[in-house]
Order: sequence, then C-alpha cells, then structure tokens
Amino acid sequence: MGSAADTLAFLRSVRLFRNIESRELGILADSLRERELKRGQILLREGDTGDEMFLVRSGSLVISKAVTGRVEQVLARVGPGDFFGEMALFDRSPRSATIQADNDTTLLVLDRAALSKLTEISPRAAAAFFESLVLIFIERLRASGDLVAEVTRWGLEATGLDVDPR
Amino acid sequence: MSATGPPRRARLELLVRGKDGGDGFEVRQIGSGVAFIQSRPQRVPAGSFELAEVASRVDGQHSFILKNTTTDRFLLLSEPEKFLWEQMDGRTSLQHIATAYVLRYGEFDFDIIPQLIRKLQRAQLLTMTPTSRLRQALARHRRQPVAKLAESALFALERINVSSRNVQSVFRTMYRLGGFVLFTPAAAVACLVLAVIGLAAGVRLWPDADRVVSGFGKSPLLAVLSVKLLFLLTVGAHQLVHGLALVHYGRRVREFGFTFLHGFVPTFYVDVTDIFMGSRRARVITAVSGALVHLVLGSLWFLVALQASFGSFLQAFAAASGMIQWQAFVVALYPFCFIEMDGYHVFVDVLGIPTLKHDAIAYAGAVIRGRAPRRFTRQEALFASYIVVSTMSVAAFVAFNVWLIIHAS
Repeated sequence: MGSAADTLAFLRSVRLFRNIESRELGILADSLRERELKRGQILLREGDTGDEMFLVRSGSLVISKAVTGRVEQVLARVGPGDFFGEMALFDRSPRSATIQADNDTTLLVLDRAALSKLTEISPRAAAAFFESLVLIFIERLRASGDLVAEVTRWGLEATGLDVDPR
Repeated sequence: MSATGPPRRARLELLVRGKDGGDGFEVRQIGSGVAFIQSRPQRVPAGSFELAEVASRVDGQHSFILKNTTTDRFLLLSEPEKFLWEQMDGRTSLQHIATAYVLRYGEFDFDIIPQLIRKLQRAQLLTMTPTSRLRQALARHRRQPVAKLAESALFALERINVSSRNVQSVFRTMYRLGGFVLFTPAAAVACLVLAVIGLAAGVRLWPDADRVVSGFGKSPLLAVLSVKLLFLLTVGAHQLVHGLALVHYGRRVREFGFTFLHGFVPTFYVDVTDIFMGSRRARVITAVSGALVHLVLGSLWFLVALQASFGSFLQAFAAASGMIQWQAFVVALYPFCFIEMDGYHVFVDVLGIPTLKHDAIAYAGAVIRGRAPRRFTRQEALFASYIVVSTMSVAAFVAFNVWLIIHAS
C-alpha cells in the first residue's frame, strides 16, 4: 500500500476531489481502504449488493452488462483516476453491472460511512464533492446516450434493416 | 483540408467469459459489417409464402412472384434473387450465401444481397394508390392559390373510398348462387354468339347513325353524359366478374370498393393481386372475363337500339350505350394506352415483363435526356414500340371521341 502522502497526492489528481481542501482531503484519505485485484478477477457482479464506490489508483477495469449466456456488453473501461460504483452509495440498489480487472489493479474504496463522516466534518467539502459528482453524472448520461445511438447504428448496419422512407 | 471517407462502421465491444465459468474473459470488438456477413437470414416458414414463375418471352429471362400469405404482400424476384431467397434457411450465413452465389453464377454483385434484404423487409411491391403525375405537378405549384385549391379538392375526393376487405365470403356466395355459370363453356359460346349478333346489329345501324343519334333531340351532350353515368355502374359489374374469376380459381378477393382514382376518376375496383399466384391461364381468364361484361352489354344495347323505333330517344340512348360499352371492351383489352388495364396485364404476362410500362417510360426518359444505352436490344425495341404505339393509340382514341361528340352535336 502506498504512503499517506502518495494517497493524498493521488486524490488531488482525481477530478472528483478537485475542489476539496487538502486538510479535508487528508481526513477523507484516512477513511479509504485499498484493495488489490489480479488480472481477470471479478470485483463485483451485476445484482450484488454493496454501499461502496471505488477509485482506480492503478491498472484498469472493464464494466459490462449481461446480454446472453457468456456474452456481456462492454459499457465502459476505467483507468487511473476514474471512479465507479457510486450509485450504491445513494440508492442501495443491486449493482447494475459487473466489474472485472483488465490487468492487475489497485483500488481505493470509499464507503457510505466515510462519506457521512466527511459530510459531518465539512459540509463545504461534501458540497464540493457532490457538485463534482453531479457534473460527472451528466457527462456519463450524455455518454450513455451516445452509446445507445452507436448500438442502434450497429444493429441497423448488422441486420441491413432499411428504415429510409423512400 | 479534411479527409472525407465512408462513414465509420459501428463497432460493438463484447465481453465473452470462459466456458469454465471462472474469472477469465476475453473482450472482442465486433464490427457491424462482420456481423452482417455472419448473420443467418431466415425466410418465413413454408406455408407462409408462395412462389410463382413468370417466363419472359422477350429476353428468355425468368422472374418470380413471391407472396407472403400472412400479409398478402407481393414481391417480384429475379432468378438470382430467387436463388438467394432459397438459401435463406436460417442456418446459412450471408458469407456462405455469397459464396454459393459466386459458385452458381461465376460473379458477384455486391449490392444484390443488401438490396434483396431490403426488398424482403419492405415486401411492398404493389401500391394500390399510386401518386399521379397531376398530383405531383400540383404539389410543386402549391404556392399558387388555384393549384392549392385543386390539390385540396383532389385530396378530399381521393379520401372518398367505400370499400371492404372482408368480401371473400360474399364473392363465394355469389359464385355458388350462379356466378359459376360464367366460367362454363356454355357461357363462352353464349358470349360469342351475342358478340356476333351485336356486331351485326351495330353494322346495320351504322349507315343510319345520323338518324339514330337525332333521337337525343336538342341536348345531345346531356344525353351522352347520362349514358356515361350509366356506364359507370357497369364498371362495378366488370369488377364483380373479376372477383368471381378469382373464386373460380381458388384465390382470394382481398378488397372491393369505390373510389376516385387520382382524385377525379370515379371507379369501382377489386383487388385481384392474389391471382398472381395462380397459373397463367387463370390470370388471363380473370383479366379477360371482366372486359367481356362490356362486350355482352354492348351487344345487348345494340340489339335494343335495332328493335327501337328509328329516331326515338330509346334508340339513341341504346346505340350510344352500346358504343361506349364496346369502347370500354376495346380499351380494357387494348394494352397500348399507358393505362394498366386488363389487356395490359395479359400482354405483360405473356411477355413475362410485369413492369413493361414503368420500364418503357424510364427508357423513353433516358432517350430524351440522352442517357439511353447505346446497345439497342430486343428489350429496348419493345420499350420503344410500346411508347410509340401507346402514344398514337391515345391520340387516336381522343380524336375519335372528339369526332363522335362533334358529330352527335
């Protein structure tokens, strides 16, 4: 595991924490746990329960959703500085996708208790965190719209379906 | 300067897990093009479609009519397209179908498969309400109030359509209650005898045509219009006989009704497209039987005219009705008039070129624009002949009717 200084330096590079002061970031860093994954290892499966979000410190992961049998659709790839699993922090719903390591990976785990602690100690830091989160949510929403369009185009091209009203 | 190439094909990223169910996986990128050639098109199950062959006597080519018996839609297929259709069994990929095509024909047209697939997906070969050129012209000049008014009026008239798609049982009952008699040898002989007698009556009346039409008195134009109105009702009988012919050959009458063709021609119609799946004999008899209604009625009117007293209104009316019925008989069976009537359908059926009018008009357009192919084959000769004879025929028909009205006036 990296030193506290390394972790703090890493958190400063994460967009989600960009507007949080060093002192508050230090408090948050103390609450984070580190988790190692081997290449190919599944972190969590679609339908699992949990209340943690993950920050990718090193390595990369593939986020996928079951399609049929052994086949899943790749929704996204995440790398250093990215985060995922944040929905479970808020809605307690089952995980919406499966996440597996594409190669050896190190994650930082932020759970609901750590977030509550940050909110309690520094509402201003929590507000900055949530604002960044909302902005990133909006980006992801737009990206998922693009993905739907790409998948639809793929379907039209792959089936030769003619929808041109001539 | 920006590079402009073909649009990027969409790619899908799929994660495929190992067979052992462990953590191992593989991510594959599948391009839509690869997916397309690996797809396995499956035609509708046997029993849900019918295939009938049409042989061309001009270029020796064979074409096929494919009918979806569930949706009642028809499709015209070339011989290679029929071959591809037969390969689409749900087990063979497009890649293998393409290979089979090359082995069979020794060449490959890269567009044929996508085009065929589009055709099969659309499956709308026959359009019952074609957009007329008049409507297109009016639409182009919509800014002018008169054109807009005319277009609105035609649109309103065109929407008048009294029809039923549930008529098969009615036609079956009519056939059972006596309609079948029309398709017996006795009916054919009676029709022939009536035609001869009617012709004889017409010939006897012709020298006294002036005296005959004088029976209309002082308003001949009004009388001719009333004759035309009565004639409209007989068009209904014409269509009824078409429907009975369908029943006679075990096919289905899909629709019967009344509408304003192109928005201004009042007419009855019957959907006889199911006869495409019958034999050529069935198609010819179905087409001719309707027209024979006008031959019979025309003969009867001439007989009435012959029996009526000379110069009476009845004689004039009967003679004019006989004339218009026989005109209708000739027009219905005459294939060269740019109208796809019964005779045209028989003609193209015998030739084996179901799209003759369309192709001929397209060829004429190409000639006018100087884009016609340099080779003048039998097919181009046929197209040119169709255009020339049809143009002359329409001109002659219009001239004859103008002469008739002027003479009657």
